[in-house]
Amino acid sequence: MSHQFLLALLCEEIPANALPGARRQLEQGFAKGLEEAGFAGCTVRAFSTVRRLVVHVTGLAAGQPDRIEEVTGPPARAAFTPDGSPTAVALGFARGQGVSVDQLRVVKGSRGDVVAVTRRVKGRTAPEILAEVTTEVVGSLHFPKTMRWGAGEHTFVRPLHNIVAVFGAETMDEVVPLDLFGLGSRGSTAGHRVVAPGRIEMRGITGFEDYAARLEAAGVVVDPDARRAKMLARAEMLAAEVGCTVRPDPVLLDELVELVEHPGLVRGKFSSRFLELPEEVLVTTLRHHQKSLVLEKNGRVAGYFLAVADRPDDPEGHIARGYSWVAGARLADAAFFYAQDQRDSLESRVPALAGVMFHRTSGSYLDKTNKVRQLAVELARQAQLEISLEHLERAAWLAKADLVTAMVGEFAELQGVMGGIYALGDNEPEEVWMAVADQYRPAGLEGPIPRTLTGAMLGVADRLDTLAALLASEKPSGSKDPFALRRAALAVVKICAEFPLPLDVLDACHRAVVGRPGGDEAELQAFLQDRVRHYLTNVVGVRADVADAVLTAHWGVIAADVARARALETVRRDEVFGSLAIVFKRVRNILTKGTHGVLDERVLAVPAERELLAAVAAAEIRVAESLDEDDHEAALHALAPLATPLDRFFTEVMVLCDDSILKDARLALLARIERLFLRLADVSRLATEAR
Amino acid sequence: MLDSAPIGVSCAGEVSSVDLQDLILSLSRFWSEYGCVIQQPCDLEIGAGTMHPETFLRVLGPEPYNVAFVQPSRRPADARFGENPFRLGKLLQMQVILKPSPHEVQELYLKSLTALGIEPSFHDVRFEEDNWESPTLGAWGVGWQVLLDGMEITQFTYFQQAGGLDLQPIAAELTYGLERIAMFLQRKDSIYDLTWGGGIAYGKVRHQDEVELSRFAFHVADVEMLRRHFEDWERESVRCLEQEEPLVVPGLEAALKMSHLFNLMDARGAVAVTERVALIGRVRKLAVRCAKAFVAQRERLGFPLLARRGGEA
Repeated sequence: MSHQFLLALLCEEIPANALPGARRQLEQGFAKGLEEAGFAGCTVRAFSTVRRLVVHVTGLAAGQPDRIEEVTGPPARAAFTPDGSPTAVALGFARGQGVSVDQLRVVKGSRGDVVAVTRRVKGRTAPEILAEVTTEVVGSLHFPKTMRWGAGEHTFVRPLHNIVAVFGAETMDEVVPLDLFGLGSRGSTAGHRVVAPGRIEMRGITGFEDYAARLEAAGVVVDPDARRAKMLARAEMLAAEVGCTVRPDPVLLDELVELVEHPGLVRGKFSSRFLELPEEVLVTTLRHHQKSLVLEKNGRVAGYFLAVADRPDDPEGHIARGYSWVAGARLADAAFFYAQDQRDSLESRVPALAGVMFHRTSGSYLDKTNKVRQLAVELARQAQLEISLEHLERAAWLAKADLVTAMVGEFAELQGVMGGIYALGDNEPEEVWMAVADQYRPAGLEGPIPRTLTGAMLGVADRLDTLAALLASEKPSGSKDPFALRRAALAVVKICAEFPLPLDVLDACHRAVVGRPGGDEAELQAFLQDRVRHYLTNVVGVRADVADAVLTAHWGVIAADVARARALETVRRDEVFGSLAIVFKRVRNILTKGTHGVLDERVLAVPAERELLAAVAAAEIRVAESLDEDDHEAALHALAPLATPLDRFFTEVMVLCDDSILKDARLALLARIERLFLRLADVSRLATEAR
Repeated sequence: MLDSAPIGVSCAGEVSSVDLQDLILSLSRFWSEYGCVIQQPCDLEIGAGTMHPETFLRVLGPEPYNVAFVQPSRRPADARFGENPFRLGKLLQMQVILKPSPHEVQELYLKSLTALGIEPSFHDVRFEEDNWESPTLGAWGVGWQVLLDGMEITQFTYFQQAGGLDLQPIAAELTYGLERIAMFLQRKDSIYDLTWGGGIAYGKVRHQDEVELSRFAFHVADVEMLRRHFEDWERESVRCLEQEEPLVVPGLEAALKMSHLFNLMDARGAVAVTERVALIGRVRKLAVRCAKAFVAQRERLGFPLLARRGGEA
């Protein structure tokens, strides 16, 4: 019969960021531990609230099956005399194993014959195993931060107050004895601290559904998914009551779900005078300080918000009033900063950047401002961007000034956004304020890129300067990347690829390093190339060998690199590219073996040579034509007719022959082919599959 | 002793006037009845109750200790010339230390709110993760900010380390933000409109002093003098600790003076980013030495409070 097990730990409030990981570890830990103990085919599910960690296991047997075990002992010749009668050694072994001497057998061991006995080992009961697995899994849970409490003997995420551990078939009535952090297990727990603080009995409990129902009656929704659904439904209802909709914020909702036992929400409101604040300021204030969902009407922020409450109701209206009062205070604070900031122009703040350190090795933000300004203009000139260099320069000059405003001092996440708002207020041209506003876009792989070319150029120059300055001292390793340099490099790649910017990144790296003596140009290029590879495989979705083939050939103008990779990803499935990969590998190998001079076509007389020469000439023309039209697929297809002539050439012609004139001409022909291929991709890097 | 002080908030939750001083008296009475020593503020300019020797030193070593006190806390850089309705250069904290942290410490805390007339069954009281660290004291802890209907009213910390020493047993620290709680209970939009007590508003008691403290901190304080005294008190602290029998409290007090001098220099904009970490490090070094000296001193004395607890058991 199938048995089940329920474990529920009641703690003091657990940090929201620890819970998803804890659930994952509990599921994996129990599944692994039980399987290792011989319980195959169990189903493990983990749940949590801000105060509870819950595990439910189904499909358990009542115990481990009995095992047949063979125990080997001393060498046979020590155990038995030549006539087969047992010696004292045999008698001793039999006694030790609890069997009679006639149950001993002789088997082949690795060092000759040994005495052995077959024993039946009784399987242990499921509760015994569950107690062990629980102690092991809970004890080795990894949390972002752990603590000690009271006498300070135990370490866990938060102090533990109650353990329910029950086992059974239809009903889980057997309490599994446990000792975790000095606390024993029981058959009852406590409900929600305010809604139903009394005891909840687990007697007669039939499964997780029953457990969840008993807790829900006591104000606790233990399944995070259920809490999320309830919270979302309540949010929509509260919004509809005032004719609004909820501005979607799944990241915040995920966090709110982890903050409570009961998925409660209240609707607060704030004075309409705050609606005059920039929307970003309103939203950030409500989100940052109050973890509140914002309501909107006709696409604009309305004077309401939804805040989390760990209870189903607001009996006296205190909660909504309290939140509204706090929101008012916070927004008044923000309005105060906003008004204060607007007393001075953004430009007047630039000199104060001299007092803000960019990095201990790399001067102040004023210093950075000057460097970025120069770099941005140089890169724009180099790429022949059709933008006003004057505007670009102006945007770069103002870009970091918001770091010394009160608002960004309070909400660091508004950097850039505030600069844009203040620059607009100072009547800076649209090109300028938008570029300032967008300089930190994209925030990650998903976020939007800058809206204008000026903003894109500023964002790229700023990050290249950061990378050139910091890569030497702050190079990321493993999960450590305190200055988010990987993200900065990825943003450069994403902007160049998606805007797109006709910028040669290799040249740009060179120029960035010139501005930051001590920066290593080759290291910077390699770091960026790594991000291009990441972008190609993760965003564009090409195979790793395709990215490799494209990037080894040449790279730098990222939008073009992406186009080549896309094309190669499409055409690589053609059978002919399998052959091309193999034959091009031969080309590259042989070219490492000899030098080659100018191609003198007159010495190439063998038919296979003449055929290849003609094919190359034709392919060159078609590749060039296709590239002129930015048709990388056609260009790659133009290489296909070379497969057969190349194959024939290698079969019929001895490249490294004794006649040095002939040898040079043949190598030169192959070099010409290599050059042609490498305009597109090093197809020798393609993984060739057995077909 | 006072009779049970009338509390201005009925259970039904209709807010009426809870003077700031009622708040202090109610909390003091509550924690006194629990068995805390009701201490007086540290008579130096310090940034938080945590720096009071009654916290910083008492959490060290094995001796149990329960204490509560109000601490006026100096934050020169937060001063706003009396113009900002929410920010002060000198604010009031009610500090409670429970060592070892009792098993039911959260319930105790909630009861203390009830004593203020805040009945949890009518409100939303949540404990949201907020860990605390003081680089100046070489101290850190794990805990929460307590949110009452969305308003942060208390910092709740299980101290893990102080003066660079691992703590055992662990103390729980409850820090009530008194102006915050009073604003919430009185539903006032400005600190200065709070009623302090005796029919007098907070602004009448403290506004001028906030204005002057701000001016001093931002414009007037003599940076050269502050810097000189920082060095003077550093030497003095070292001298205290180098006595044959180290002078722990005077040594710590000298370090606390340095901490405040640093805060003033910082408000004056006189701390270069590059020297910031080094200056804080100099204070921490002394705090760490004081912590070690304190534990050694208590050990020499045979941990007297340990014996007392033993006698009761």
